Amino acid sequence: MHAREGVWGEATAFLERFRRIGWFDFVLLAAFIGLVFGLFSLAGEWRTLRPAVHIDLSPTALPVYVFYSLSRGLLAYMLSLLFTLGYGYWAAKDPIAERILLPLLDILQSIPVLGFMPGVVLVLVSIFPRSNIGLELASVLMIFSGQAWNMTFSFYHSLRSIPKDQLEAATIYRFDWWEKLRWVELPFSTIGLVWNSMMSMAGGWFFLMITESFVLGSKDFRLPGIGSYMSVAVAKGNVPAMIWAIVAMVLMIVVLDQLLWRPVVVWSQKFRVEEGANEQTQSSWFYDWLRKSSLVEWLNEAMENLFARKPSLRHEPREEARPDVRPRWSGLLSMILFALLIAGLLFGSWRLITILRQLSWRDFLPILRAGGWTLGRVLLSTALGTLWALPAGLAIGLSPRLSRIFQPIVQIAASFPAPMLFPLVIALLKAAGVGLDWGSVVLMLLGTQWYILFNVIAGSMAIPADLREAGRSYRLGLRLRFTSLYLPSIFPYLVTGWVTAAGGAWNASIVAEYVTFKGHVMTADGLGAQISLAAEHADFPHLAASVMVMAAVVVLFNRTIWRWCYRIAEERFSLSK
Amino acid sequence: MTIANTTETTTETLCEARNISHDFTMPNGSKLRVLEDVSVAVKPSEVVALLGPSGSGKSTILRILAGLIKPTEGEVLYRGQRVHGLTPGVGIVFQSFALYPWMTVTENVNVVLQAAGLAPEEIRERTEKSIRTVGLAGFEEAYPRELSGGMKQRLGIARALSVNPEILFMDEPFSHVDALTAEGLRAEVIDLWQPQDQNPSSVLMVSHDIKEVVYMADRIIVLSSHPGRVRTVVQNTIARPRDYRSRESEQLVDYLHEIITGSELPDVPVTTTRRPGMVEPLPHATTSAITGLLEYLDAHNGMDEIFEIAAATDQEFGTMISTVKAAEMLSFVETPQQDVVLAPLGRRFVRADTDERKMIWREQLLKLRFFREIYDLLRSEEGEVDAEVVHERITAMMPQEKYESIFDTMVRWARFGNLFAYDEDTDRVSLQ
Repeated sequence: MHAREGVWGEATAFLERFRRIGWFDFVLLAAFIGLVFGLFSLAGEWRTLRPAVHIDLSPTALPVYVFYSLSRGLLAYMLSLLFTLGYGYWAAKDPIAERILLPLLDILQSIPVLGFMPGVVLVLVSIFPRSNIGLELASVLMIFSGQAWNMTFSFYHSLRSIPKDQLEAATIYRFDWWEKLRWVELPFSTIGLVWNSMMSMAGGWFFLMITESFVLGSKDFRLPGIGSYMSVAVAKGNVPAMIWAIVAMVLMIVVLDQLLWRPVVVWSQKFRVEEGANEQTQSSWFYDWLRKSSLVEWLNEAMENLFARKPSLRHEPREEARPDVRPRWSGLLSMILFALLIAGLLFGSWRLITILRQLSWRDFLPILRAGGWTLGRVLLSTALGTLWALPAGLAIGLSPRLSRIFQPIVQIAASFPAPMLFPLVIALLKAAGVGLDWGSVVLMLLGTQWYILFNVIAGSMAIPADLREAGRSYRLGLRLRFTSLYLPSIFPYLVTGWVTAAGGAWNASIVAEYVTFKGHVMTADGLGAQISLAAEHADFPHLAASVMVMAAVVVLFNRTIWRWCYRIAEERFSLSK
Repeated sequence: MTIANTTETTTETLCEARNISHDFTMPNGSKLRVLEDVSVAVKPSEVVALLGPSGSGKSTILRILAGLIKPTEGEVLYRGQRVHGLTPGVGIVFQSFALYPWMTVTENVNVVLQAAGLAPEEIRERTEKSIRTVGLAGFEEAYPRELSGGMKQRLGIARALSVNPEILFMDEPFSHVDALTAEGLRAEVIDLWQPQDQNPSSVLMVSHDIKEVVYMADRIIVLSSHPGRVRTVVQNTIARPRDYRSRESEQLVDYLHEIITGSELPDVPVTTTRRPGMVEPLPHATTSAITGLLEYLDAHNGMDEIFEIAAATDQEFGTMISTVKAAEMLSFVETPQQDVVLAPLGRRFVRADTDERKMIWREQLLKLRFFREIYDLLRSEEGEVDAEVVHERITAMMPQEKYESIFDTMVRWARFGNLFAYDEDTDRVSLQ
């Protein structure tokens, strides 16, 4: 602040600031007050005990439901972020724990949401028997289970790929672990975390209808939110309400994108590591406004003053050599954590075995057969997705004009929870006379094709200009250009798209193979249907067995076929070598 | 803390590595010795340079002295005290700058001082001073990506100076900076070091550029490679300020060249210097580089000095040495002193057409014990084996070498001579 004299200086400075306050600051203030009221109403909702709330299907009730769902999603996201930072840091720093933590993450990632559902719900509801907190937390944790894993993988990989010299500089200048985290590790991981956060948030919405209303044995649980609004609308066959819900969902995604993710992406550009001209300038009107707002500026200054390091925190300059940058307690801490991890795993496996012992090997046969069917559907939907997304993605990615138009649209479409469209699609399928055995492939496709499209677009935008120019100057025909240039150079991206799409399709199978529509249930023979059925009937041995089979198939497939594809992509088609 | 360099302290050493050896663990679990019994000392008020080709472990020595790497054997001392962990009083300037791209110029220096636990006023003062010292005033709020290579390294130097180090460590500091800028920066570093009453008292630098060390260093420690050893130490007493083009400088440059090429290219025929059981490892050289070298010699009356060739063809010296060694193994050139002379066979090769070149190449390969062994191995296995088997044979023949690099070179050379082929898909090696 500039030097002004006496008391009046302070006063005029304040007035000066006040004069610069614009209408945008008032909007922000209003939004803040609205948020506080919203949180009060949320707290009230959580405190009362209503296992199955009545859902009002009139469109005027929707804004409140959207708010409830949104708060659950954001809460789950915050949990995911905390989990990511803790788990990823642990796995990256402790080489012994890493050997267990990474495969464990792989397994956790392959367990569908319904696999977590009964345990989470039963435990939390019994902890909070007199309020809805348990149920709300259960819902939040189920959303969390759809968000956390890929963020954690991303953070772990970022931590492991920090350039060696940047770490050496941190060591030689004696950063302690916290300084290293704040100044080097977190900044380096930011871009990856931001992109994965966006994907995670979209992934968290996917099971919104399940996480807000589900049946467990004889009990019917329903929480107020846009997901349960949709389920009730579907159960009643109320088509206008369904359309309202879809519109509200799209609006929520667009608003979230504009007010949260765009600004965060623009802000995160600061942490770019690579240099060069091909920087895509990202912009966000909301971010620009925030930066101009004097309210935000004032908040920023207040925060900085609050968190500024007090000079008295450290009396002695660190001149002496510190033999080990790790604090002494870190060894003990990692030992305790590791012991807890092992104990938890042993307990979990023991529980799993006692549950599974209620089944005979004969019970596994239908589960395995169902697994085979679902595997077929997953592969078919991935193939179908590739069939259209490959040419479409190439067309979009190779044309700057098209990609400018379509990329935001594709992003929104990918964030939209496909199960909300299932009722409409099933109605169409029924009219066309297609049963769920084949129809479920279409439903899976609906959710997972975007991943392929996304990656193909990214891949074709990354084809070096000189290769494309060479192709053109040698007058390669479209077909030759496709087989000798486009396909090889986007192959690594395509593999990533396949892996994500197939993973999503496995997950989607539990809603695609088992559908309630206008009061009656349709099923397809498959693992997803087995899981849904077992969860609904609270048949825990069966549920555990089918979830285990699914996780095993997914992990096995990842470790063999997809890893093989990755290797080919890396060795043969990598453009960076 | 400022160390005054008085005459009494000159006998004492600031920082010292005694009898260090170091092994790297390869991905396949085997150990690779990179340093063998190396002793290096830095005294107050001197500039010491570690000079050597790639593979001489010079950067590893620097890191061991700084305390970033713990040597497999031997110890590091600071002012006579054994050091555990980081060596005090050290600031490092990195080859690739190691700046934090998300921090401005000021912030990059600030964090280092903040980590040192200084008071805010002192941080501000010191940051400002070191940024001014290296001539970055006016760029305080710029991000590293907005700076040129030379300016980035200025920031790296400012950061290192800000902690007021007694010894400034520099790891190939100017190899990522364009030649003219580097010349200027070298003079500036010497200016920073020269005042005797302020830090840095000494400079330890790692370099593969002979002209650079002749310009900068008081003492030049010449290393040989695979594993790194101290070959010799050369005192440089040329008066400062020095001139790259003075006669004394050029003489010293020539002298150093001779030491390095002499150690890397023994005048006696290569094959006889080895113990009988040993197989000469393949230098990592491409067939096109070897052919290129022969073409160059043919166009230059059949001979030239090795560093002239390196300069004229714009090649790194280490790469050049590998190429010459390879050509010598194949009897295409001879290397008296630091000259490279085209041998009659080399001349025949370079003037032949493609088919004949391949024939000559193939004949020469089969004269090498290494290729002979692999060739016999293939013939005994009906012309085709898994790469794994070749791997084992190579490791048995030359356990000290990096397998991947040898295999890679073997495949390139053998392909050129139509001797044998490697199929990546099946991972098998077969006779042609």
